Amino acid sequence: MSQRSAGSGARRSRPGRSQVILDDDEPDVSSQPSSSQVQRARCSFTPQQIEQKVAEVVQFILIKDQKKIPIRRADVVKHVVKEYKGQYPGIIRRAGQTFEQVFGLNLVEIDSKNHVYILVNKLHPLPGEPISMCPGSPKTGLLFVILSLIFMKGGTVKEILVWNTLKKLRVYEGVKHEEFGDVKKLVTDVFVRQKYLEYVRIPHTEPLEHEFRWGARAEQEVSKMKLLQFIGELHNEEPQTWTQQYREAASVESNPR
Amino acid sequence: KSGHSNGFGGRNRTERVADTGDEDEGAGPSGIHEDDDDPARRREIRSQYRDLINSVHQNREDMLNPANNKLIDVLEEANKLFANVRQAREAALDAQLLVLATDLGREKASQLHAEGSSFDPSAYAQHLLSFMGLNRLEEEDGNEDDCSDGYLPPDAWQRLSKRVESCFKTAPSFHYMLGSFLVEPPPPRQRIERQRKAPSKEAKRVMPIQLKKMEESHQEATEKEVERILGFLNKYYADNSESPIPYYDFVIDPTSFSRTVENIFHTSFLIRDGLARIYLDSEKLPCIGKIDFSVTSQNAILPDL
Repeated sequence: MSQRSAGSGARRSRPGRSQVILDDDEPDVSSQPSSSQVQRARCSFTPQQIEQKVAEVVQFILIKDQKKIPIRRADVVKHVVKEYKGQYPGIIRRAGQTFEQVFGLNLVEIDSKNHVYILVNKLHPLPGEPISMCPGSPKTGLLFVILSLIFMKGGTVKEILVWNTLKKLRVYEGVKHEEFGDVKKLVTDVFVRQKYLEYVRIPHTEPLEHEFRWGARAEQEVSKMKLLQFIGELHNEEPQTWTQQYREAASVESNPR
Repeated sequence: KSGHSNGFGGRNRTERVADTGDEDEGAGPSGIHEDDDDPARRREIRSQYRDLINSVHQNREDMLNPANNKLIDVLEEANKLFANVRQAREAALDAQLLVLATDLGREKASQLHAEGSSFDPSAYAQHLLSFMGLNRLEEEDGNEDDCSDGYLPPDAWQRLSKRVESCFKTAPSFHYMLGSFLVEPPPPRQRIERQRKAPSKEAKRVMPIQLKKMEESHQEATEKEVERILGFLNKYYADNSESPIPYYDFVIDPTSFSRTVENIFHTSFLIRDGLARIYLDSEKLPCIGKIDFSVTSQNAILPDL
């Protein structure tokens, strides 16, 4: 097989097998190799090697997920898959299966354009059961307050409302909080990068205002019905009291993403 | 002459602002009458517009309240003002006010859309505070806008987090249980193995000597212990005039299982050597009895194992 040079030559190290033709330039993984190339590519790697790569991808994603920052496909290819790039679809599919069957986790692509993944628990937590080895971080509570505000207000909430509400809970925008530190950064930067929240500018506002929405991770991870149930408990009301929100929570339950 | 943004920056207005649907003349230069160009009048109009805009900003929360129609009042004011507007600059202000008003209107409308109960963030906050264990101060002004009524316990947010955790399907973070695993390249490992082999040979040589020593001391220790226990037994009989001891009271050490086992072991030597006897009393519980040495050892009953 002839070898077309593409991009950086450094990636070309291989254990002396027949070469794989890669279709495109190195950084761009978006174009799929043609099926004949895929077939030829498959021939060059043994099933054991593919298995090995799958295992490495699984481990890479597990570690990357520690910080809860979504994982980019480009990173997976660059650091793990490397010359197996042509096999990527198969590898990632099998990694997803491994996550499901071995770890009880779902590998979800939250951005199909930019190819970004997150790991989500497949199982619903049971009440009283510890969620992980580390006890719940207080940040979860803060995040929950914001998410619940957004949900109960119809899906979008002005930033000013969030701060006004947090103020009543002794959390202030400009003041360093005992447990949360720089709250503004946590809320508008960390939670946003983790895709729990979206922080969007409102056009035509002066001075510039923002609003919050649920991020893609929140949509995947958070049960609206359970959220509403807790709110009901707090207010000593049935969740059905908020009919619109109840309807939305119920429809999400019946149509799992 | 397209609209300037009168120093109220942040808005990029490229289209002519004159068209508001009103029957006013256009704000082009060709349509200016003399009295329409009076700078003082225009200044006043602009100032009134700015006041209106500010009041909307200030009283935003109030205007959102579905209970009143203050928003409509604002619009009527604006209409009155606009009747006097002749040029683009003032019209631009009017447009700005309109954007504010429509935005407010949209928000107000979205509140109306909600069937069922509306959601009040303030009440929600109060409920949360109660849940988190707020310790309210004795004297309350009744004004709960202020945050100075009561203090939150240090575990307030933990409490909330624990309760709401179950709403999240978060994947547990993956961490190695015993810290990270450093993979060493093969060659150094071989060297380490060779080093380990050398010391072990020496160790073997030492072993036999040590074992011998242990065996001797072990035997001595047993005899010592047996004698010690015999001493206890005799002392007991001297004090308690020949009444038998319940076996379990004698051998069991409530604080140490291993000691109990040792006691049983050593007591068995006493019985083997005929220095004490063990028998079942009227309640079928084992007892240790003294041996009268005038009698032969045939009286000793071997324990039923």
